Amino acid sequence: MEERPQHRLSRLPDNSALKQQELPAHRLYFTARRVLFVFFTTGIFCLCMGIILILSARSTQEIEINYTRICANCAKLRENASNFDKECTCSIPFYLSGKMMVGYVYMYYKLYGFYQNLYRYVRSRSNRQQLVGKDTKAVEDCAPFKTSDNKTPIVPCGAIANSMFNDTIILLHNINSSVQIKVPMLKSGLMWWTDKYVRFQNPSSKNLADEFRGTTKPPNWPKPVYDLDKKDPRNNGFLNDDFIVWMRAAAFPTFKTQYGRLNRTHRFIEGLPAGNYSFNITYNFPVTRFHGEKSVVLSTLTWYGGNSLFLGLAYTVTGAITWLASFAMMAIHIMLKNKKMSFFHQ
Amino acid sequence: MALCAKKRPPEEERRARANDREYNEKFQYASNCIKTSKYNILTFLPVNLFEQFQEVANTYFLFLLILQLIPQISSLSWFTTIVPLVLVLTITAVKDATDDYFRHKSDNQVNNRQSQVLINGILQQEQWMNVCVGDIIKLENNQFVAADLLLLSSSEPHGLCYIETAELDGETNMKVRQAIPVTSELGDISKLAKFDGEVICEPPNNKLDKFSGTLYWKENKFPLSNQNMLLRGCVLRNTEWCFGLVIFAGPDTKLMQNSGRTKFKRTSIDRLMNTLVLWIFGFLVCMGVILAIGNAIWEHEVGTRFQVYLPWDEAVDSAFFSGFLSFWSYIIILNTVVPISLYVRYVPSLPWGFSRESGGPIELLFSMKMKSLRSNLKSSSSCDVFDVLGHKAELGERPEPVDFSFNPLADKKFLFWDPSLLEAVKIGDPHTHEFFRLLSLCHTVMSEEKNEGELYYKAQSPDEGALVTAARNFGFVFRSRTPKTITVHEMGTAITYQLLAILDFNNIRKRMSVIVRNPEGKIRLYCKGADTILLDRLHHSTQELLNTTMDHLNEYAGEGLRTLVLAYKDLDEEYYEEWAERRLQASLAQDSREDRLASIYEEVENDMMLLGATAIEDKLQQGVPETIALLTLANIKIWVLTGDKQETAVNIGYSCKMLTDDMTEVFIVTGHTVLEVREELRKAREKMMDSSRSVGNGFTYQEKLSSSKLTSVLEAVAGEYALVINGHSLAHALEADMELEFLETACACKAVICCRVTPLQKAQVVELVKKYKKAVTLAIGDGANDVSMIKTAHIGVGISGQEGIQAVLASDYSFSQFKFLQRLLLVHGRWSYLRMCKFLCYFFYKNFAFTMVHFWFGFFCGFSAQTVYDQYFITLYNIVYTSLPVLAMGVFDQDVPEQRSMEYPKLYEPGQLNLLFNKREFFICIAQGIYTSVLMFFIPYGVFADATRDDGTQLADYQSFAVTVATSLVIVVSVQIGLDTGYWTAINHFFIWGSLAVYFAILFAMHSNGLFDMFPNQFRFVGNAQNTLAQPTVWLTIVLTTVVCIMPVVAFRFLRLNLKPDLSDTVRYTQLVRKKQKAQHRCMRRVGRTGSRRSGYAFSHQEGFGELIMSGKNMRLSSLALSSFTTRSSSSWIESLRRKKSDSASSPSGGADKPLKG
Repeated sequence: MEERPQHRLSRLPDNSALKQQELPAHRLYFTARRVLFVFFTTGIFCLCMGIILILSARSTQEIEINYTRICANCAKLRENASNFDKECTCSIPFYLSGKMMVGYVYMYYKLYGFYQNLYRYVRSRSNRQQLVGKDTKAVEDCAPFKTSDNKTPIVPCGAIANSMFNDTIILLHNINSSVQIKVPMLKSGLMWWTDKYVRFQNPSSKNLADEFRGTTKPPNWPKPVYDLDKKDPRNNGFLNDDFIVWMRAAAFPTFKTQYGRLNRTHRFIEGLPAGNYSFNITYNFPVTRFHGEKSVVLSTLTWYGGNSLFLGLAYTVTGAITWLASFAMMAIHIMLKNKKMSFFHQ
Repeated sequence: MALCAKKRPPEEERRARANDREYNEKFQYASNCIKTSKYNILTFLPVNLFEQFQEVANTYFLFLLILQLIPQISSLSWFTTIVPLVLVLTITAVKDATDDYFRHKSDNQVNNRQSQVLINGILQQEQWMNVCVGDIIKLENNQFVAADLLLLSSSEPHGLCYIETAELDGETNMKVRQAIPVTSELGDISKLAKFDGEVICEPPNNKLDKFSGTLYWKENKFPLSNQNMLLRGCVLRNTEWCFGLVIFAGPDTKLMQNSGRTKFKRTSIDRLMNTLVLWIFGFLVCMGVILAIGNAIWEHEVGTRFQVYLPWDEAVDSAFFSGFLSFWSYIIILNTVVPISLYVRYVPSLPWGFSRESGGPIELLFSMKMKSLRSNLKSSSSCDVFDVLGHKAELGERPEPVDFSFNPLADKKFLFWDPSLLEAVKIGDPHTHEFFRLLSLCHTVMSEEKNEGELYYKAQSPDEGALVTAARNFGFVFRSRTPKTITVHEMGTAITYQLLAILDFNNIRKRMSVIVRNPEGKIRLYCKGADTILLDRLHHSTQELLNTTMDHLNEYAGEGLRTLVLAYKDLDEEYYEEWAERRLQASLAQDSREDRLASIYEEVENDMMLLGATAIEDKLQQGVPETIALLTLANIKIWVLTGDKQETAVNIGYSCKMLTDDMTEVFIVTGHTVLEVREELRKAREKMMDSSRSVGNGFTYQEKLSSSKLTSVLEAVAGEYALVINGHSLAHALEADMELEFLETACACKAVICCRVTPLQKAQVVELVKKYKKAVTLAIGDGANDVSMIKTAHIGVGISGQEGIQAVLASDYSFSQFKFLQRLLLVHGRWSYLRMCKFLCYFFYKNFAFTMVHFWFGFFCGFSAQTVYDQYFITLYNIVYTSLPVLAMGVFDQDVPEQRSMEYPKLYEPGQLNLLFNKREFFICIAQGIYTSVLMFFIPYGVFADATRDDGTQLADYQSFAVTVATSLVIVVSVQIGLDTGYWTAINHFFIWGSLAVYFAILFAMHSNGLFDMFPNQFRFVGNAQNTLAQPTVWLTIVLTTVVCIMPVVAFRFLRLNLKPDLSDTVRYTQLVRKKQKAQHRCMRRVGRTGSRRSGYAFSHQEGFGELIMSGKNMRLSSLALSSFTTRSSSSWIESLRRKKSDSASSPSGGADKPLKG
């Protein structure tokens, strides 16, 4: 018994603060002072923020024109897929009343009930194909639009590219009943830098048609990808502005996507003056088949972007509730404190 | 391991022939090699994986993985599942591998211990693993016995040998084993080499106290019993050497047969978790069904028309089938609500984290044998008190111990603090001299003097040793004894007393006496014994002294000391002669010999003169009573299961405050038959009922008995009761038809002590409680005999101490002293439970908040199983972004400082009542998670639906939405863990801030141009982070989401704190106020030491060695008077011992152990 081995010594745990669970630490207490302080400040912050946001949002102007029904004849035409090569245009006059739309005016198309967020839809694209130096025939992720019936790869492949919005919308300013001038619109600056310069790249060759030999256009497209813009050769291939914008799929079935922005020159240097306008729409994109709708939107911006009232309202409501709650909590706390004090004094 | 274990038919009997390996090999007995490891290098991977996939969670993940491989179903990339799965499998495998490595190491260490084996007539060093059945091995003093041996011969006379069986059954007192006479002569190697006896015996079993077999040698049969066996795990003591024949080896030994398999331990949280996981699973299926129906309807209404843009998959031919597929897709996506079991099982048991088991709210504590409550008694003599003739020796520590240097024979280890007593001795006070003379004469200690002046006492009880050592230091050195004499050095001069008789100790007498004749020829009887017994037998002339002594005795007992009263009596020659004659007659009587002897002893031990009293501190481990008191306050019931005798157990029960004088009654159940035990239990219950009825709760006894809620009624018993039950009664009480009765009775008592319990019974009791009571049990023990109990209880705690490390190895926790239990339970157990609960709550919360977003999104994406987040985020959310902060909380969180949780044992109660994590709390967490997920989805949805970016472009693209939701989710759950963490260490800061930083770092890395250039189809979110997070709208959304998600939680906590604070809140805030006021906190009051007077001899387990000494059996043959002795008391001491032992009645007592004349 005397010669017990001293085996325990070696296993003695470190006497460190870590192992002894004695690390110096700050204990978190929900004291009344702190909690109420946080509540009051949060309330004030939210209320102020909400008011600022609401005021900003109210300063913007927006016009939305749903042309699904206005262009009913075109819609009917498009319901039959065999009429894909027949052109159908439709003109929608409207009056910009009151004051002018000041500053940068943006034009959007808005689709209702178009599900860009379906699992198989979102995945159906090939970034590899649309990158320079990569294989244009890389269509592995593009089901169900990988190849045409005769096995030639589709460029650009995938459901997203195939369903590209291809209406042409032209805004005309009717100065008087006979004179219409086209409102100048810019397509540039409407996409992320990374989309334009990183995500999408054209094959280096000058002649795109050669590069895309041995491939075919998506079934819904009237023209191949290298022939999208006849006027501006640089706006062809994967670097077509409308294409890039479309390829950024929306999160919800109702979404608006930028189409153009006002080129502030001449008459439009201050914005869009009040008056008569009309949209001249080449109706190509069928939406009635899936009971969808489409509209065209003109809108101005605030410092934080779009004109959503939601954020401002949400902030205001949150701020108000927080404030009310903090008063209620203070009242409860003081009541209980008094009770406790009187209890102790007894 | 299945490979190496040879399948052998169950043995009917075992045959082993000494020195004949060839013959024994025929039977293919197990070798002495022990294997506790599970794997080797080759089998590790398959076996370990096989074991891991038996875990439900892992199989579930495998199933998900397979689902994901079906392209029509797959809604997530395969790595979202495989990464966590592989991670968990790897961590577990590494842990298993390290564990097994250490098992290999310990196996090797044991297997390679050296022992001396007699091979071909020569003693050879062999490793333990090479020892075979039938080998003869030589053991030396203090060596462990290598296998179960038949003792053949030993260095001591008559083939006696002493062993310590602590490792085996936990009893620390030495036991005697004796070789059968025919073999005890085989002292030298040449004789042993020729020994070719054959043993035929029972097959291997786990009964430690039974053995039956026969030795066939030289055409004679010799019966063998447990008295002849040395079992593996014993240690040879006080015996220079002995030889033994290996009967059972390795896994067949009784020690190994007794070690049960480790069972998987489940705590109440585990059980709750299982239910919850099932519920969640049901919930998951419900969500899947809802979304699948939604999908079918959507595909039918919208999807068919949308086929221009997205035709159905070739395999899908109807909306219904599409719905069916989407069910499985959603099961994959939403699986993150379930994996809790998987993470929870591993994450909290990582380094320093006290694994959750200790978090189990313990309601029942099983304590080991009491001995482990006591520190090593070897050193206990430091606290002896001698009360000579009422002159009370001062107790308590003095700066300087008494200097015993005058005495060359003094034991240096002995410390004593009162110099006045030594003065009295030196002056030559006759009473004091007589006092110490008694101590040096009246005992059954054996002495051994290896060198001159180097004395070793072999005491059968530590108390005796301590007293004799004390006398030795005071100059009354017990030097040596023969059967007829005792030699004592009294103040330097050797005096030999003639030993006339030893009136040995037993439990009824509670005293022992010696009758000696001093050199002057005067016969004197010296007696020491329990005060209650002895005080009645004193001469009335000592009344005054008696009173003083009584006062002192009460005082000592109050201090928790165990007392003995010493007395003497002079006998005249004639009386002694006549008495001795009568004693001889009585001892030769055939029937009721014991009673006759007792009455004769009683007659002489009368009218004695009081000499004084001794008090020995029950050297309980420090802090034992305090710990027990605290644990009782924390509502933990303590049951003591001990191998000790009833008296010992009750004594220690008192000294550690388990039993108190305040108790209404202590029931003692000692019945020998089923009926007796049942009757005793019934009476106990009746008494408790009566008292509670008198308190007045309406029911009559009959009603209670008939009501099925008997237990609960009994638990409401008024008054404090304790139950003491004996091993043999327990055996009946544990039978199927009585176990409930026993349990109910026991549960109604504040304290339960089971004495003389076998290791198996210990496990049975724990099992019984586990079976009928939903209590969490903790077993604590230090001996090998506690192993089964430690393994059976929910939480096993091993005390690493004097009894080897078997218990420690089998335990979940181990420490060196009982008092650490209070820290383990009240501090660490409590913290751990708290952490566990917070951990679970948070885990449910964060996963629901994370996952349910997909559910809401389903309504907007045509139920197409599109995820809201990027797949990398889904992969990393649980294992990187949110795991470390919650882990840090699970390891470091504290609500109240540890001093407070010791100060307020009541703080432990919420755990027992499962207040911190139960179904209600679970639903609150789930509700919070769902609430968060709703806001997490709909606020960004509301904002994004109509907004544009500040450059006029679309904001609501899928990728920006994904990044916004993911970022706000990470921020919200980080803020939430910040609120949940009550104790912010640097590590918490590091992990929480670090997780956020890592999230943004990974986000930007994943969305970088470089990765996209390399893997354009894998990293589709290129440029997303910088574009999205640069938008003020996005940040406004994130801030709003965070505020709306967190504020209600803060308000809720604040209100609960104000309206319904629980104890820990109160303690916390009192702490805060105190800190502010800088008031000094009071120290905890020591638990008062009030107790009843208990007398000594508590630790004398058996009858002393008295008879053995007088028979001279254990004396060297040099003892002169031996021959006459052996002839006279022909009834051997072993036999008489046997007759007294009821349990050995069955063992055959053949003529084999008739002593042979030396």
